[in-house]
Amino acid sequence: MAKRRLSDLRKAQMQAGYVFVLPSVVLYAAFVLAPVAITLILSFTYYDISFGADWVGFENYVRFLTEPRSLEIFWNTLRFAFLAVSFNVAVGLILALALNRAMPKFLLYFFRLAFFLPVIISAAFVAVVWSYFYSVDFGVINYYLAQLGIGQVPWLSSSKFAMTSIVIMDVWKNTGFFMIILIAALQGVPRPIMDAASMDGASAWRRFSRITLPFISPVLFFCIVFASIGALQVFESIMILTGGGPGDSTRSLSIYLVDEAFGSFELGYAAAVSVIMMILVLIITIIQIIGSRRWVRE
Amino acid sequence: MQTRSMQTREAKKWVDRAIIAVLLLMGILMLMPFFWLFSMSFRPAAEAYKMPPSFFPPSFDLSNYQTVLASSVPFLKIYWNSLYVAVLVTIGQLVTCTLAAFAYARLRFPGRDSLFFVMLIGLMFPAQVTILPIYLGYAKLGLLNNPLGLVLMGLTSSFGVFMLRQFLRSQPKELEEAALMDGAGYFKIFWRISLPQLMPALGALAIITFTGAWNAYFQPRALITSQDAMTLPIAMDLLRGYMSQGNLSVVMAAMSMAILPVVLLFLVAQKMVIEGVTFSGIRA
Repeated sequence: MAKRRLSDLRKAQMQAGYVFVLPSVVLYAAFVLAPVAITLILSFTYYDISFGADWVGFENYVRFLTEPRSLEIFWNTLRFAFLAVSFNVAVGLILALALNRAMPKFLLYFFRLAFFLPVIISAAFVAVVWSYFYSVDFGVINYYLAQLGIGQVPWLSSSKFAMTSIVIMDVWKNTGFFMIILIAALQGVPRPIMDAASMDGASAWRRFSRITLPFISPVLFFCIVFASIGALQVFESIMILTGGGPGDSTRSLSIYLVDEAFGSFELGYAAAVSVIMMILVLIITIIQIIGSRRWVRE
Repeated sequence: MQTRSMQTREAKKWVDRAIIAVLLLMGILMLMPFFWLFSMSFRPAAEAYKMPPSFFPPSFDLSNYQTVLASSVPFLKIYWNSLYVAVLVTIGQLVTCTLAAFAYARLRFPGRDSLFFVMLIGLMFPAQVTILPIYLGYAKLGLLNNPLGLVLMGLTSSFGVFMLRQFLRSQPKELEEAALMDGAGYFKIFWRISLPQLMPALGALAIITFTGAWNAYFQPRALITSQDAMTLPIAMDLLRGYMSQGNLSVVMAAMSMAILPVVLLFLVAQKMVIEGVTFSGIRA
């Protein structure tokens, strides 16, 4: 009797389990797994919306790796990612160090508001504001630069400045995220060790480099990985500020993909571009897994 | 010795104050774009480009807001689309992710762990790698240029399942075992015990999902081109195109309305938003 009840229970549990996961599994299969598989297949074809697909092997990938234009866009994306990641994390760390001290509650609320608000507002919205800030003749920034006696800077219209301008906005928008994560990490640095070190006369820099930095390094490492994955997919801020121009000087892989897919209807080629992006993200994820094994303190 | 330590303490206090002063200045600078867009939205359209720029509303003239609503861009419809998508996606994720999280955290069934693993892999795929097949599929099903398409593809997420499962596993199991002994079914246990336990995490997930859907740009941009089906982020370009000829103030009025829900959410539930968003980053 007891045995039968147990097996009934197991069966009921099994049924309940499948019923509970069903909706998410079906949706996940339909909107993630199947599309990824189809993208992979698509990337080996020449796809025409009205005539269907022709198998072309690695042609799309060869095209990506040999065309000067796509290579320029590839390097643009890496350059953007490198700059955005470095500044986002560095500024976030400096802000976290500055904020990690006793202060009244209302100040803390204000700082969290000021530095985190840009994080949660879509880049699609704030980039429109920044595009006016950056405008040459009517721009807010150039107006104040003129007051200081500095001539007009072609923030977005010159290929020399455009990438920098986008990075500046990106740091404004995202650095607060890393600041918050790093503050949490800093609060985990054991007080007694810090106090003992300052009693022994260790300078602020020494305490930072010998105690704080090793202690927060796993979190710092996470920040770099996370920022890289985000930066490689950069889309709306560039789309709205420059649309990829002037020329191709700020075009990212995401924008290139959308141009090729929905502008030129080169769907097979666009699929290859997206697979290349996925591989980039995958490489970073693998680095994260290997790195976090080595970095995590035991 | 005494005086020296007092001196250094005094010096430290001044360093603290100086740092806070610099931070204050930076904080105000960070908020400038928001001050600017808000006060611009009240500036008479004719003076939109007059310098110096204003960072505080010169008056509370609502005519720019009226212009947005009366313009040829169907702003209210677009606003409604954004709400519709964000609310339904949020509800959908809360339901599907909670159900799945309960099963992964609390039930035993063959294939559970491999299924969960496959779900986790989803965290690694950028949106770019799924968009083309979704586009092609939607084209066949007539879901292009339809906000419903954006809803459907957002109804579940690997992240939501993962987050809720981790949370539920950190909760005590005793209540549930007792209920099982009393002969309660799994649906009852889920409804009466696990769901209440999950509440704090559900709040965080709701906030992340809502702001994520409200802010989404890449997928709507790929799937929607007709004005009547647009959501706010992709409509911003449109508004800019239609109105930018001397009507900067009008664009900023539209912008103020577009960011309002997220700003309000943040002002009211600052701590929860920050915790939710940072948790969504620190997933693995």
